[in-house]
Amino acid sequence: MTAPRGAADQTPASAGLHARQPKAIHSALTVLEEVARCGAGVTARTISDNLELPRATAYRLLNVLVQDEYLVRTPDLRGFALGRKVVELASLVAPARPPEAVRLIVDRLREGIRGGVHLVRYGHGGLRVIDPDPDFPPSDRAHVNRFLSESAMGRLLLAERGQAAAAPARQLYSDIRRQGFAHQFENVKSGYGCLAVPIRDRSGGLVAGLCLSAPRTRLENPTALIELLQGGARDLAPLLA
Amino acid sequence: MTALARAISQPQPVEGFASPSPVEGLARRSVGFPDVLGQSVSAVAPAAAATTIPLLIAASGGSPVWALGFALVLALLVATTVNQFTKRLAAAGSLYTFVSRGLGRTASFITGIALLIGYGFVSMFALAGAGYYLSIVVDRFWPGSVGSLLLTAVLVVIMAAVCLLVLARGIRVSTRVTLVVECVSVGIILLLVVVLLAHQDFTVEWSVLSLQGVSPANFAVGAALALTAFVGFESASTLGVEARRPYRAIPRAIVGTVVGAGLLYVVASFSQLVGFAALGIPLTSSVSPVNDLAAAYGIEGVGLLLDVSIAASFLACAIATLTALVRVLFSMGREGLLPSAFGRTHRRHRTPFFAAVVAVPALTVVLVTTMLVAGSAWQAMAILIVGAAGGYLTAYALACVAAPVFLWRIGELTVWTAVRAALAAVLLVLVLGIYLVAAGSGDQFAGVWVFLGVMMAGVVLYALRHARRPWRRHTVGAYDVPIGEDLLGGQRGVEG
Repeated sequence: MTAPRGAADQTPASAGLHARQPKAIHSALTVLEEVARCGAGVTARTISDNLELPRATAYRLLNVLVQDEYLVRTPDLRGFALGRKVVELASLVAPARPPEAVRLIVDRLREGIRGGVHLVRYGHGGLRVIDPDPDFPPSDRAHVNRFLSESAMGRLLLAERGQAAAAPARQLYSDIRRQGFAHQFENVKSGYGCLAVPIRDRSGGLVAGLCLSAPRTRLENPTALIELLQGGARDLAPLLA
Repeated sequence: MTALARAISQPQPVEGFASPSPVEGLARRSVGFPDVLGQSVSAVAPAAAATTIPLLIAASGGSPVWALGFALVLALLVATTVNQFTKRLAAAGSLYTFVSRGLGRTASFITGIALLIGYGFVSMFALAGAGYYLSIVVDRFWPGSVGSLLLTAVLVVIMAAVCLLVLARGIRVSTRVTLVVECVSVGIILLLVVVLLAHQDFTVEWSVLSLQGVSPANFAVGAALALTAFVGFESASTLGVEARRPYRAIPRAIVGTVVGAGLLYVVASFSQLVGFAALGIPLTSSVSPVNDLAAAYGIEGVGLLLDVSIAASFLACAIATLTALVRVLFSMGREGLLPSAFGRTHRRHRTPFFAAVVAVPALTVVLVTTMLVAGSAWQAMAILIVGAAGGYLTAYALACVAAPVFLWRIGELTVWTAVRAALAAVLLVLVLGIYLVAAGSGDQFAGVWVFLGVMMAGVVLYALRHARRPWRRHTVGAYDVPIGEDLLGGQRGVEG
């Protein structure tokens, strides 16, 4: 997940979708639903019996869902469990509006800083922008979970996980942990960069993040900006943790 | 969507996933589809095979086009059966691990030995081939050096060193380079085909497809030879741990390689037959048909390019096959069949470093010795390819028997899969038997005996090691399991 993806990998999700497939998609979602209902470890045979699907169809659907990582097989290979990717489906749904007290603090920050200030929440292995700056909406690419390693808000999360295959990424994440903030320059939008500071609960777990996106030149000496953001983060921590 | 919504909003903790994967230490989920495809394509080395196999089939009295067509169908049956495994488990041990899930440890070990013979012999074959073709290239500049054993041996040792370096540094570089090399070589061959057909104004002599005068026995030998042009397609499955989205990428790479290579073979063999028919001389009279055709049709300029690209194709094949070989050794090391040092990985590059450092020099020494004993690189290659084919076909046959048993065990067997696997297994055993008998009675008999000898030695070694360590019986068949991070509600290892 942390390694950069090859360009050839990124075929659009709609590639090869034909008119007759909605039925298959319906069946696939029914299968996901059934795995969720039965719990981890349910076997292919149980699913095909419960849904009254022909065996071959059920096995095929299950294998496709495993290939796309919506499902994973249990270590004995007989059973199935929901994969983390299922959450990506859920994160497409608009998140609930954060409470008034939170929005007041974020708005105050926006008045003090020129640039887009976004509030991000972490959870279920991904991130969701819960309060995007209405004047400078964040780029789609910045908060899509498959590009975590490119955005500052994503890097905060990856640094927290602390797993990286490649040496440069490991170095980057250990820098983020040491400095206490993440940044990226021109990864998402040319000429622009982004800073992100963590918001932690009392036990030190990462629960949310405050991000600032602005022209790159303004972010090259970020000390003052980081202090502003960290002040906001301190105020927000008790409300979000 | 209530149950699904509940599972997402309040993930229930799932037990049994949190421990590290048994094959931990490799660069898990790090290479994309092009690399996986490159691995299979280079292990098959379609460019080298398309220029040599049709001649071999014609020389044995078979019909190249029909034999290659039949082999394509059989290889597809095998590939789709092997994919029953690759869709369901991600392993570094390929067929060796797969068979253990269906037939247990003894069959798995026999498969492992067969697969190691296949990979080991093909990598030596490919290294020798690369050395041989490079010596032909050198011969263009310094005439008289083509037969020199010393030159070929030196070239082989240099290329083995290159292989070792690439294996240690990680697979991404090697697979991409080899994919490009294969594409260039295949492009040259296809260009030649078009030029050839254009010379005949696209009116071809269909009589070259006639099966007249081909006896059933000759056809079978031809089919067996043709199948050796496909072996190696399953090697993408050794990247099960390292591939991103392995359950999707690996099956596609395997089937794609078989179909692509098969179509190339059919077209290339057909055009070689047509080309020689138009020249009025039999294909079997040529030593290097593609070069002769290129010369006869006035494009001898590609000759040098073709020699270089065939040498590169052989080198790519050696790299890919060794990549697969060291991963099988790695799996055996992890499971205790080999000393546990074989299961060690390089800390920075995350490759099975120890297995590579042992295997590559050992194979190089064996290869150079074989070349000295056999008298020439070409003779050594003829012996090695027989052993390799025997190893691959044995492993494929066992995998085809294991697939239905495995599917039945996890409760996912269907009628069509069982029929397909059975058909593939029967045909493979037939082809293997005919091939070994034919090769054993010809001038390649040494290859048959070497293959049988190494198989026997491996089984004895296994029996000895097993008798000393009976507790190992439960550890065979390690594969990658989803770690906590992959599933909803799994425990995630958060550091700092």
